[in-house]
Amino acid sequence: MNDATLVRKNLFRKRLRAILLTVSILIAFLIYGMLGAMQNAFSMGMEGAAQDRLVTVNRINFTVALPYAYRERIQQVEGVRTVAPASWFGGYFQEPQNMVQSFAVDPASYLEAYPELVFQPDEQAAFIEGRTCAAIGRALVTQFGWSVGDRIPLMSNIWQQQDGSQAWDLDICAIFDDADGTYPTNYLMLHYEYFNESLAFGRDSFHWIAIVTDDPGQNDRISQDIDALFANSPAETSTTTEAAFNEAFMEQFGNIGLILTWVIGAAFATILMIVGTTMVMAVNERTREIAVLKTLGFTAPRIFRMVLWEALLLSFIGGLIGLGLAALAAQGASAAMSGFLPPFGLSLANTLTAIGFMVALGLITGLLPAWNAMRVRISEALGKI
Amino acid sequence: MFKQTTAVTLLNLRSIPQRWGMSLATVLSIALVVGVLLGFMAMASGFRATVDGAGSDDVAIMLRGGAMAEMNSNVSRDEVRLLEAAPGIAAGAQGDPLISSELYVVADALRRTTGTRSNLALRGLGLHGPELRPQFSLVEGRMFEPGAAELVVGASVQREFEGFSLGETVRLGPNEWTVVGIFSTGGSVFDSEIWTDLGVVQNLYQRGSGVQTVRARLTSPDDIEVLREHVGNEPRLNLEVLTERDYFARSAGGTVTLIEWAGWPLAILMAIGALAGAWNAMYASVDARTRELATLRAIGFGGFPAFIAAMVEAIVLAFLGGLVGAGATWLLFDGVSASTLGSGFTQIVFAFAVTPGAAVQGVILAVIVGVLGGFVPAIRAARIPLLAVHAD
Repeated sequence: MNDATLVRKNLFRKRLRAILLTVSILIAFLIYGMLGAMQNAFSMGMEGAAQDRLVTVNRINFTVALPYAYRERIQQVEGVRTVAPASWFGGYFQEPQNMVQSFAVDPASYLEAYPELVFQPDEQAAFIEGRTCAAIGRALVTQFGWSVGDRIPLMSNIWQQQDGSQAWDLDICAIFDDADGTYPTNYLMLHYEYFNESLAFGRDSFHWIAIVTDDPGQNDRISQDIDALFANSPAETSTTTEAAFNEAFMEQFGNIGLILTWVIGAAFATILMIVGTTMVMAVNERTREIAVLKTLGFTAPRIFRMVLWEALLLSFIGGLIGLGLAALAAQGASAAMSGFLPPFGLSLANTLTAIGFMVALGLITGLLPAWNAMRVRISEALGKI
Repeated sequence: MFKQTTAVTLLNLRSIPQRWGMSLATVLSIALVVGVLLGFMAMASGFRATVDGAGSDDVAIMLRGGAMAEMNSNVSRDEVRLLEAAPGIAAGAQGDPLISSELYVVADALRRTTGTRSNLALRGLGLHGPELRPQFSLVEGRMFEPGAAELVVGASVQREFEGFSLGETVRLGPNEWTVVGIFSTGGSVFDSEIWTDLGVVQNLYQRGSGVQTVRARLTSPDDIEVLREHVGNEPRLNLEVLTERDYFARSAGGTVTLIEWAGWPLAILMAIGALAGAWNAMYASVDARTRELATLRAIGFGGFPAFIAAMVEAIVLAFLGGLVGAGATWLLFDGVSASTLGSGFTQIVFAFAVTPGAAVQGVILAVIVGVLGGFVPAIRAARIPLLAVHAD
């Protein structure tokens, strides 16, 4: 019988106790994993292309429109390659509750600016050509069951046509995915021209423009040049990277990160106390046995290591099961919420941090009992009746 | 039987300090569960109170049909004229209808705590606008002059955002404004807004003569039906008529549900974790008293008192945990100011509110954890064999 067997036997000598401790550790890591995955969903789109792409909005606020003529003027700025204007459409399907995130875009320039959107070549061509065409993201296919060839009346809660109608009839010509599963596909795009020509008010304006530059290193200079173009005009602009824009928008919902930190902190404080006190008690119960081991020639450091390993083993069993469950739960939640949030899951960083937590939990809960065990005195322990 | 039970229970409770480590861990872990639950509920009810407090039953709000939110609505000047003559609307001191045409746009401001830019509502309102907010009062300064680029600022805005002190010049987009007053509507959602004259907003934001919403004081809350019927029968009006309370309840519902839906599952998951802890602690407690319990059996005590005693111990610990959790949440979070993005794409400042109802729910959850965690160990306590007297 080697030390590893002894550690395992000690841990499971009271099976129910070991199981209960495993459950409470498991739950802390399940909470950590699920919230970590959710947080990833909120910080999506802040990496990759979004770091390089610029976005120009009205300086008052991104909900206030800019004149369409700005498109040409921004295109003239040195270093600007692609300029893709877009407008909020505020779409819903049949009932106002069935919101469809939708933008009116100039398809050719928009797809050039967002190469991460993947189309079937024939569908892409059809979408760019067809005036009444719309392209929908994969997540909307799941949510509404639409398919290519369907004709849907999409209502707008913002806009009105000259005849008073609020519905635009759209042909679904294309379905898009994203290249690597990290960008949201929960929206619909329609042709700006088709949208604009029948508007009752607010014609020839847009809400934001996505800009791709020749050299991302020049982005600071280009942002300043663009904003300088429109300084002191009735519609001043504010140009930032898309990542900074997204982050500022998410921050407006409140400090979600702080709330998650509090919850995860509470979950870990709980198990630290439960596991910590139980381990101390479990080792105290074994005082006499430890004295016997010492009598048999086990050195104090060896006993110290064995108790520490016991705590680490417990922490890893609970932690790994919890993390596994969290990965499964995140997958399910991601599928269920594909209409609202981009796809999300546990990242490598989450997993590594969790493993770090398991080591820390094992060490913290193991050190005191291991220290106690190491200092057991044979004469005192065996002298007890 | 009753005497036996009381005796064993007291014996049990008095011995808790001997096992203070496990007992304290149980109390604190349950306190944390309750704390998480109450934290989320305080957020939800604080937000609800702010939004609900804004809506009164005797103010009607009219939006374009299907617009759902003020931001998306538009009402023409002709429609406003028709509404001025509509039945069910109360008259003001000069005999004119108590009606306010309103238009709001979103403006950016810097948040004090984080220095980040957030959306604020800049609302242009008609002459009677303030009268339609029941708890409106000017805290400092004066009202804006019609036609001037002057602002009165809600108390929450002044507290949470930079640059809105009385007399300061504020730049919103290309325009400069002067802050001439600070107002309060008793902590309602309007305290998160900036107000000015309707005509100025229409002018500076090129909105022509159109507005977004029309608010009107009703002669009585029941007259909403009269007004609704009138608007429905008038073909030139394509408007939805709601009481302000219904309007705000509808727009707050989503956020409140979202917070509650996040809070309960988390609290229940954590409760399962704490349950395992309580179970363990109770096992330890029963184990520690094996000889004592067996001795009691030997001198004629039944198993049932031992069961009850263990259950009472578990429930007392859990109840204490619930109280500690509720108390700590109240001390830490009650009244803490926070803000989030409301349905109108603008910030709504609200205060966390730990309500007695929520505290009771938290303590109930704690006691449930105690009952479930204590049950199996209590059965064990009741079934300790007599021979365990010889256990070491």
